[in-house]
Amino acid sequence: MKGVGSMAVITVKKLSKVFKVKVKEKGLKGSLKSIIKPKYNIIKAVKNISFSVDKGEIIAFIGPNGAGKSTSIKMMTGILFPDNGTIDILGLDPSKDRKRLAYSIGCVFGQKEQLWTHLTPYDNFKFFGAIYDIPESIVEKKIEELRELFELEEFINTPVRNLSLGQRIRCEIVASLIHEPKILFLDEPTIGLDPVVKEKIRTLIKRMNKEYKTTVVLTSHDISDIEKLCKRVIIVNKGQIVLDDTMDNLKYHYLNKKIIDVKMKEKVNLDDVEGINILKDKDYNLKLEVDLKKKTISDAINLLNIDNIIDINISNIPLEEIISQIYKDGDK
Amino acid sequence: MKKYLYIFKSELMSNLQYIFDISIGFISYCILIYIFLNLWQYVYSDPSEIINGYTMKQMIWYVIITEILWMSLSGRKYNRKICNDVKTGNIAYNIIKPYNYVEYSLFSHLGITTLRFILVTILGIVLGFIFLGSFPELTVLSIIGVLISCVLATIINTLIITSLGLISFYIEDTSPIYWVYSKLILVLGTIFPIEYFPKIIQPIIKYSPIYAVSSAPAKLFVDFSLITFIETIIIQIVYFLACLGITHFIYKKGVKKLNVNGG
Amino acid sequence: MLMEVKSQIKATHLSIKYALQRELLNKFTFISNILFMIINNGCFIVQWIVLYSLKQNIGGYSFRQILLLWGLAAMTYGISRFFFKEAFNLSDIINSGKLDNYLIQPKNVLISCITSSVEISALGDILYGLIMLILYGLSVKNVILFLTCGILGSIVLTSISIIFSSLSFWFGRTEMVANTVDSLMTNFATYPEGIFKGIIKIMFYTCLPLGITTYIPVKLISNFSLPDLIFIIFGTFIFTSLAFIIFYFGLKRYSSTNLMNARI
Repeated sequence: MKGVGSMAVITVKKLSKVFKVKVKEKGLKGSLKSIIKPKYNIIKAVKNISFSVDKGEIIAFIGPNGAGKSTSIKMMTGILFPDNGTIDILGLDPSKDRKRLAYSIGCVFGQKEQLWTHLTPYDNFKFFGAIYDIPESIVEKKIEELRELFELEEFINTPVRNLSLGQRIRCEIVASLIHEPKILFLDEPTIGLDPVVKEKIRTLIKRMNKEYKTTVVLTSHDISDIEKLCKRVIIVNKGQIVLDDTMDNLKYHYLNKKIIDVKMKEKVNLDDVEGINILKDKDYNLKLEVDLKKKTISDAINLLNIDNIIDINISNIPLEEIISQIYKDGDK
Repeated sequence: MKKYLYIFKSELMSNLQYIFDISIGFISYCILIYIFLNLWQYVYSDPSEIINGYTMKQMIWYVIITEILWMSLSGRKYNRKICNDVKTGNIAYNIIKPYNYVEYSLFSHLGITTLRFILVTILGIVLGFIFLGSFPELTVLSIIGVLISCVLATIINTLIITSLGLISFYIEDTSPIYWVYSKLILVLGTIFPIEYFPKIIQPIIKYSPIYAVSSAPAKLFVDFSLITFIETIIIQIVYFLACLGITHFIYKKGVKKLNVNGG
Repeated sequence: MLMEVKSQIKATHLSIKYALQRELLNKFTFISNILFMIINNGCFIVQWIVLYSLKQNIGGYSFRQILLLWGLAAMTYGISRFFFKEAFNLSDIINSGKLDNYLIQPKNVLISCITSSVEISALGDILYGLIMLILYGLSVKNVILFLTCGILGSIVLTSISIIFSSLSFWFGRTEMVANTVDSLMTNFATYPEGIFKGIIKIMFYTCLPLGITTYIPVKLISNFSLPDLIFIIFGTFIFTSLAFIIFYFGLKRYSSTNLMNARI
């Protein structure tokens, strides 16, 4: 376990959460059945997880959909009550001191809007200032400051409903920072955004973390979010922590491979080249796995001969594969 | 005609699977009938009393029938659908299809209405029997007569609501128009038979669509006579033909306007 | 404690103000919604004119008292739907995980949630209530009692909806139960208590507290009695407390959007 000590702002111990989902069969008969004798599916969303986070850290929860990332975050913020285990956030228990805790944390849920869409971001920020009992003059100063940091000049006076998704998310983040939270929770902050905007959001989060030393806990299923933002990562799958490690270690062990899909004019023979593993070779289509410890991407492309390439696609190994890889390694 | 019957049938069948959800919507029907039961029991101090030619039981059966017609029609939803078809330009797609929009809407709406009608009629009859212990005097002829009259009432009502919705071709928001129409039916055609209103306005109600779409079938149910039946059917057929003509007229005019504007 | 109440009031005030602003974006719809609601309620007076032409007294009420009954029914309905609109959608809010946003704010979840939007046509009901009071008879005493009963009654209506909507924490899709209770409360409120008999009368003072929202208030305004007023205040207190207790008890079982995701 990492980060245990006096610096920890979040300590989670043996946390569990179970959901009971009513199963409904189709049609009239099913409806009647579910009233008289309901059937339940028990879903163990979070199973006995423990970890801690230090002040000023940016930490990511990654994992596929339904892995328990959001459930964990929601328990930490006081939205959901845990079934078992303890949570200590800044010395408070979210399930008992929800309101007091709310003053020191901020939350952004990528799929849920907190802003009033008919109001301008500026008016929204003032509303949140009032919600957090901050005197008007201080709110104005804070907005001024965040406006610069998050580059909101262009649209701070445009009604939220007229903003693009990326602009909205920036405003959502600013709205959650008005009360200077010590910890910021971001649940899928970049979901649905295009790569350029994603990059922008990441830069802004990083800048904010540097400026205010705000601890950031984020969830994502986009591995590039994590690569660029975090020093430490927690991978969850099926409600359990599969890995809690530094980004450097993860990169070294699992993210040092890229997949190249190419369509060639002529066949190329890459058998027995060190650091390149041929996954598929059919007609003129090649699928390669490049081990970045041994070969750089540019070396690999040079081997293919640029003039010979009709189409190329370079991608990361899918998260699911990495996770299953980690599982396999754990079994050994 | 065959294709419209097919539309009717498929609408009815596809709604069969939601039979449970549809039935839940009838709770408010039960509440209403219960309230009217109490109200009329109070107003009629003696069950044998006759007010304006009606006994207490007749008054309650009257409301049971008018409310069946109203509940099964679900007019507000249908009106909104027509308005949306016009506003979203959906109607333009229908022009090129091998059927007429007016008939298409009518038959698909009748499909769902028939299902609702059957369900709420069963409910109404059960409620009436539990509360009152008996039916009005019924014969095979009167039952068939009432049913014919109910069908005609529903068709006329659907056509009127269609044309009210089609006014969307000309004005932005037609919901107030539907709204006024529904209130008139509620106040003048649902709660009381026309004999309860002042003598001067009785003929106005009788020859207005309110009578044809709501009061008439209920009156036939509680007090059937061959003469009223023939009279009612004549009024209803006249209204049916008139409404059919008007609806087609508004539709054709509206579509032309749409074409001029380029959709 | 006092500070907390003050800041809660300030936040609620802002929330209602912004929600109203949102509705004011379309002025025509705003005004027509209010007007139509007034006419809508007015239509039902025809029903009572007809009924009172048959009998001088229905359920122990004179025609003037019927106007007062309608006034109170419209007033309590209007205030509750205008200020606490979301209390009447609460089942759906719980099921679809929309409480999240209020749970992360340092304010009372229930109050923040139910005051997050306003129903414009309810302003028409409030105005209609006042018109009925004018027709019934204006006096300082009547106005004070009418407004007091209107506010207390609307709080009871809201509480009832919260209590029945909170069932969703345990049983999921139960909005039908809450909707039925809400429509019972609305439908019965426009008929005199005296026409009903039997078990339903017991319900008027328990699970369908129309006694507190309308029937006792009509009696109180027609003929003042201190015990009646105390009874109304006490009843409101009981139902409000119950609403908060049950809601917060259920909140522990709140499942956010997780159940929805699991269904897909």
